[in-house]
Amino acid sequence: MDKVKIGIPRSMYYYYYGNLWQQFLKALDCEVVVSPITNKQIMELGMKYANDEMCVSMKNYIGHVAYLKDKCDYILIPRIDNYGIDNQTCTNFLATYDIIHNLFPIQILSYNIDVAHKETEERAMIELGMRLGCSKQSSKRIYEEAKDIIENQKEKNIQKNMAKLKSNRLKILVVGHPYNIYDAYIGDPIIKYLKKQDVEIIYSDEFNSYMTNRISNSLSHELYFKYSKENIGAIALVQNIVDGILFITSFPCGPDSLANELVMRKLKVPYINLIVDDMDGNAGIETRLESFLDILERKRIHE
Amino acid sequence: MKNCYLGIDIGSISTKGVLIDDDNQIISSEYIWTEGNPSLAVTKLLEILKQGIDDTYVVKGIGTTGSARKLIGLMVDANIVKNEITAHAVGTLSLYPEVKTILEIGGQDSKIIMIDNGIITDYSMNTLCSAGTGSFLSSQAKRLGIDIEEFGDIALTSKNPVKIAARCTVFAESDLIHKAQVGYKKEDIIAGLCKSIVLNYLNNVGKGKKIKGPIVFQGGVSKNKGVVKYFKEILKEDIIVDDNSHLMGALGIAILAKKNATDKSYSLDVKNLSFETKGFECNACPNNCEILKIYKDGEMVDAWGSRCGREFSK
Repeated sequence: MDKVKIGIPRSMYYYYYGNLWQQFLKALDCEVVVSPITNKQIMELGMKYANDEMCVSMKNYIGHVAYLKDKCDYILIPRIDNYGIDNQTCTNFLATYDIIHNLFPIQILSYNIDVAHKETEERAMIELGMRLGCSKQSSKRIYEEAKDIIENQKEKNIQKNMAKLKSNRLKILVVGHPYNIYDAYIGDPIIKYLKKQDVEIIYSDEFNSYMTNRISNSLSHELYFKYSKENIGAIALVQNIVDGILFITSFPCGPDSLANELVMRKLKVPYINLIVDDMDGNAGIETRLESFLDILERKRIHE
Repeated sequence: MKNCYLGIDIGSISTKGVLIDDDNQIISSEYIWTEGNPSLAVTKLLEILKQGIDDTYVVKGIGTTGSARKLIGLMVDANIVKNEITAHAVGTLSLYPEVKTILEIGGQDSKIIMIDNGIITDYSMNTLCSAGTGSFLSSQAKRLGIDIEEFGDIALTSKNPVKIAARCTVFAESDLIHKAQVGYKKEDIIAGLCKSIVLNYLNNVGKGKKIKGPIVFQGGVSKNKGVVKYFKEILKEDIIVDDNSHLMGALGIAILAKKNATDKSYSLDVKNLSFETKGFECNACPNNCEILKIYKDGEMVDAWGSRCGREFSK
């Protein structure tokens, strides 16, 4: 019998779960198809199927699903509501399953995460394994093994990120959602530019999330978005160490428009906010980044 | 022989140039319209600037800034190409070393620069949305049927500026139309617009910043007396607007060209230079980037526009 082919869109959830999913599904003897890094065609597919008021990240996600829809048996799309009380995700993480279900006649493999109602990641993944024909016991074992590998990897990334704080180069904390920062179309032109200018980039998502979540209280104790809390915690953690902060926001992100605005008013370090939409021209971004770096550099020389 | 340095600021609307000497004094300056053709505008500009200096001067550095800085930098073989924000800050600091805050509102962007003892300490710029900038004012002036140059004077005659939603250009515009339709006086609406620009600016790029005097206000919108008035009123500080505020970018980049100068001398003669650009779509990957190739005297000198950074053959 042919292996079950499961598609993973390289967008949104991928940047939190991509590695775990691939480890887990491969151990279950499934074939995994990941969509390629975002290119213009994928972006245009997203634009074609998405509603015009969706954020650029969601359009991006829909583009990746549209690319995958004829290339696999199932597409893996979870429904994530929260990671506990006051740890809400963005509405898109809850709605994507239904949006895609209404857009395309495809088979969706899904699970729910709603920690406030005891639906944890572990339980969801074990059930997913069982649906793919595995016993509960071995599904649990496979999940735990995959999780171990991922956690080790993550720990290494965190160590690497922390080590960069000791660098003598110009240090910039890039604050944003990983699905924006690392996407070839949304954040990558910005990251590429910074790298070319020899900037040491520290990423807001590569910290211990338990720690950033807790420390975010020092900048705001009213937020209830998990990812915003982590971003803001990263700022609270390193704002006295970095030379500047760069926010990358996708247009029109709801949680960011609240959380970033809130924290910008309290910052004591220079920052710049780049709002990225589906624009093609990079001139505006380059002018802003170049001037931002110039000013940080001049400031550093005088200190 | 005396040294001089050329700074060119090529914006979307206007092209500015200055020649300075070793003491940063302006020897010659000019301001012309870009008219959608930056290379032609610069050819014209250099012709005019050349007449402002005699044979005893030799050009030891050329800097370009503004949105066409890269293109013109290649054309004139500039020794420095820098963004307009840095150039503006350098230019203003050379004239007002005591300045603590630079407010700037241009055609497409607005920014604030905080300075302490001549050192830039903080900075903020509008996001990629051009709400509350010069282009908004000029489109509203057109809607109201008045010349943008009279805008400020009309605003000054108002005693009761109307309140206009300042957060977003789209809301401001519908608010404005509504206020006009229910019968508010034109000068009150115009004054309200000027005030909304100031409020929008302070809430947007100025949020959370401690604005201290001396304050210099520059960029195209600084020529609008109405906006200057409301900045004074709201900040309760004096606002300096230099007569040459439109030349700050060109002056700044000339100073940077001076700092960056080598032994090389430059000619201002570009009249006979052939300079052209050719665009094409690269089909090497699904990104289909639009590539622009730049030719100088028939030879390709650069190509830009690719997302992946690949090299293009001549």
